[in-house]
Amino acid sequence: MSGSARWLQILGLGALAAGLAGLDFSAPLSWLSAGLLVLAGLKLAEARSLPERRLVSLLTLIGGGVQGAQQGELLPSLLQLLATALGLAGLLALEVGSGLSWRAVLRRSLAVLLAALPVALVLFLLVPRIEPIWQTPNLRGAGATAVTGLNSELDPGSISSLADNTGPAARVSFSSGTLPEPAERYWRVIVHEQFDGQRWKQRELPSNRLVTSTGTASDPESKASSQVWLVEPSPVNAMPWDGSGRANPNQLRVNRNGELQPLQASRERQAYLVRATGSPQPWQQRQPSPADLELPAGSNPQLEALGASWRDLATPEQRLAAAKQWFTQQDFRYSRTPGTQRGLDVFLFERREGFCGHYASAFTALMRAAGVPARVVSGYLGGTWVRPLSGAPYLDLRHSNAHAWSEVWLPGQGWQRIDPSAWATAPASQAEGSEAGGSTNPIGSWLQWLQWQWWGLDLAWSRWWLGFDQAGQEALLQRLFGDQRQWLGAVVLGAVAGLLALALAWLQWLQQPASRDQISRELQAVVKHLRRAGVEVEPGESFEQLCNRASRLLPASASNLQELARCHNLLRYAALGKQERLQQWAAWRTALRTINKATKSTL
Amino acid sequence: MSSPRLQQLISAIGQVLLGKEQAVRLALACLLARGHLLIEDLPGMGKTTLAEALARAFGLEFKRVSFTSDLLPADLTGINVFDAGSARFHFQPGPLFSQVLLADEINRASPRTQSALLEAMAAGRVSVDGVSHPLPEPFLVIATQNGLDQVGTAPLPESQLDRFLMRLSLGYPDRRAELDLLSGKALPPASLEPLLDGAGLLELQRRAAAQHCSSALLDYVLDLAAFSRRADQAGTGLSPRACQGLVAAARAWSLLEGRDHVTPADVQAVLPAVAEHRLAGSAATLLAGVDGLR
Repeated sequence: MSGSARWLQILGLGALAAGLAGLDFSAPLSWLSAGLLVLAGLKLAEARSLPERRLVSLLTLIGGGVQGAQQGELLPSLLQLLATALGLAGLLALEVGSGLSWRAVLRRSLAVLLAALPVALVLFLLVPRIEPIWQTPNLRGAGATAVTGLNSELDPGSISSLADNTGPAARVSFSSGTLPEPAERYWRVIVHEQFDGQRWKQRELPSNRLVTSTGTASDPESKASSQVWLVEPSPVNAMPWDGSGRANPNQLRVNRNGELQPLQASRERQAYLVRATGSPQPWQQRQPSPADLELPAGSNPQLEALGASWRDLATPEQRLAAAKQWFTQQDFRYSRTPGTQRGLDVFLFERREGFCGHYASAFTALMRAAGVPARVVSGYLGGTWVRPLSGAPYLDLRHSNAHAWSEVWLPGQGWQRIDPSAWATAPASQAEGSEAGGSTNPIGSWLQWLQWQWWGLDLAWSRWWLGFDQAGQEALLQRLFGDQRQWLGAVVLGAVAGLLALALAWLQWLQQPASRDQISRELQAVVKHLRRAGVEVEPGESFEQLCNRASRLLPASASNLQELARCHNLLRYAALGKQERLQQWAAWRTALRTINKATKSTL
Repeated sequence: MSSPRLQQLISAIGQVLLGKEQAVRLALACLLARGHLLIEDLPGMGKTTLAEALARAFGLEFKRVSFTSDLLPADLTGINVFDAGSARFHFQPGPLFSQVLLADEINRASPRTQSALLEAMAAGRVSVDGVSHPLPEPFLVIATQNGLDQVGTAPLPESQLDRFLMRLSLGYPDRRAELDLLSGKALPPASLEPLLDGAGLLELQRRAAAQHCSSALLDYVLDLAAFSRRADQAGTGLSPRACQGLVAAARAWSLLEGRDHVTPADVQAVLPAVAEHRLAGSAATLLAGVDGLR
């Protein structure tokens, strides 16, 4: 029982504890994880005998497994891997005693993990997932301090200047690996329907009004394009998306306003996959409700008068065009620091200066006054296109990418996106929103770069495991087995048994070269050459003796054979520094090459 | 090659014992490995000459005891003598209390006397009347014995044999060396000037013990031991003490060879001297039985 076993176990528990930090303690499984960790820690403190110490490692392994069932993201997965490797190494150190260094033990435990990988892969791919166990993962939280540029309430008039909050909001990667057109880079999050004359509010839709995004489930066979989102914690109960597609219905649903809402409100980081569907989205075709025309009378009289003047126009399209024309004719300027403005009339007819929120809310109110159903939508626009060294390129959305625009109902077309901010002069960086984080601080930009690389890996990993959800598995099983599903169990058992046997054989094979070090492999090459030259090894002869004898028989190679014997003795038996070792290897190789040439020429 | 001092030792002893350089080197290696040396041969082959030359060249204080059948243990260890003046017993140390004990014809003594040497050789101390007396450092026994077929000898028990690190046979000198001997070119042992002292020997012993011994080499020693213990090999195998001795002797040999690490050649060089008095078979069988290509 070596001391290294204890240290390996302590480190393993440390990794487990680090993984615990990211758990959502509203889930019962998290308490199980924590309980296992406490149990293992207490056991470690009191363990004296070998079976007790084994138990610590086994608890570590089980703890790693339980955490793995809860968290599939890259960082937690790495932590779980670390905990598992350390737990295994602790177990190995206990079993083999102090015979091995901790490094060797760790290496061997990694080999065991590697050998188990194919089995894990088979289980991952083929074993059907049972709903309560295979929960849709709620990912690790980065703490409860959720910051966002979005709010369920939009009141542009009360904001004098927009803070440049460049904190990360979300990342999205596309299965196509290409950046969508600028016009398609509107990521909707919140729909503000209720207007009280000054503030726009998100309507709390009762939960029974949530609709699963229809039966047009993406055809699992098709390689439909998909987006993987990683969204930082936010107090908003809606997630960004591009307004079309379908998310895992056990995790997120689309409500009738087209907001992507999590089933359970969570203040944690969220990862989800949106698969593209070809069909038109039901929320887009939903008939407007009276709430979409609500405009508190008298709150903005000038605005109401202007809007009412367009009611005479026949079609909503014409009213829209009139509004656009009016906006472009006036001298509207885009500004992030417009100062507080009480009421939309002040903005429209006095200041004519504001940011996206002003334009969206003023335009929407005008449309409502003109009798066109309209609403304000807030979300993100643009983003920074990042191409990390590893992983797929992705769009990095910051809080400063937050944007607001309008949606109007056009008969026959449904809800259409209109961005009135574009009509103002000098749309500024906000409209394009492509360059974020233009930090001049070199350390800051380095950190930024590192963060981008990490997020790239993170997204690639998320795409991999999110992409293989129940639907993906169903498709795979269908392809593999068709209707012969009854063979699934046998195939899984057979594959696991076969792979385990292979893994054990491989581990056995790995253990062998302990005595067969590099130099003795090379010796065999020399022996082969000497045999070709007619010199056989005599029983019990050392390499040095063999070389001495051979150099008498083969005077041409004598000096090189002596050199080989000398290098061999040094490499194998002397205590050499790294540099000397390299030198001796070089000398060995040179001598060996010369001898090879010589024997070839004599043959 | 080896350090000049070791070369001096070898050549100085070589002037006394002509034509036996290999035996002299082995004897040196044995002493450098802190081992006791047994020289076995027929009478008149130079056993005592070698023993005395070694003791003198090392500059150690030595006592010589000729073992006879009536030698008693107390003659070696010493006895408690009553001192009439102080009216007390005090310990009168015997010839064991020297740095080198030259035990001539050790197999002529009775087994009882031979076993009195056991504690001294293994533990470096002597117990007389229940009191333990430590022996000086270094303490070496260089014993000579006749072949067992000689008249009036008692074979050394195996336990005693195992305590000798090496057993050397000198054999007849070659013609040339014998000619030199007859021409009177050999020096008498008494003429040797000490080349070392006790501290010098201890230093050399320390250096020998510090020689680098790689795990590949230990593997070789273990393979040899495992082969000697196999059921199809005659007699008992090499004991763990024998293996320790083999490694220590190989280390000392590598020091004599002027290397800082031990190679299989060193093991092979000392193996006959270290192993043959503990084995029924010959060292050559042992060497040929183990894959030595390393």
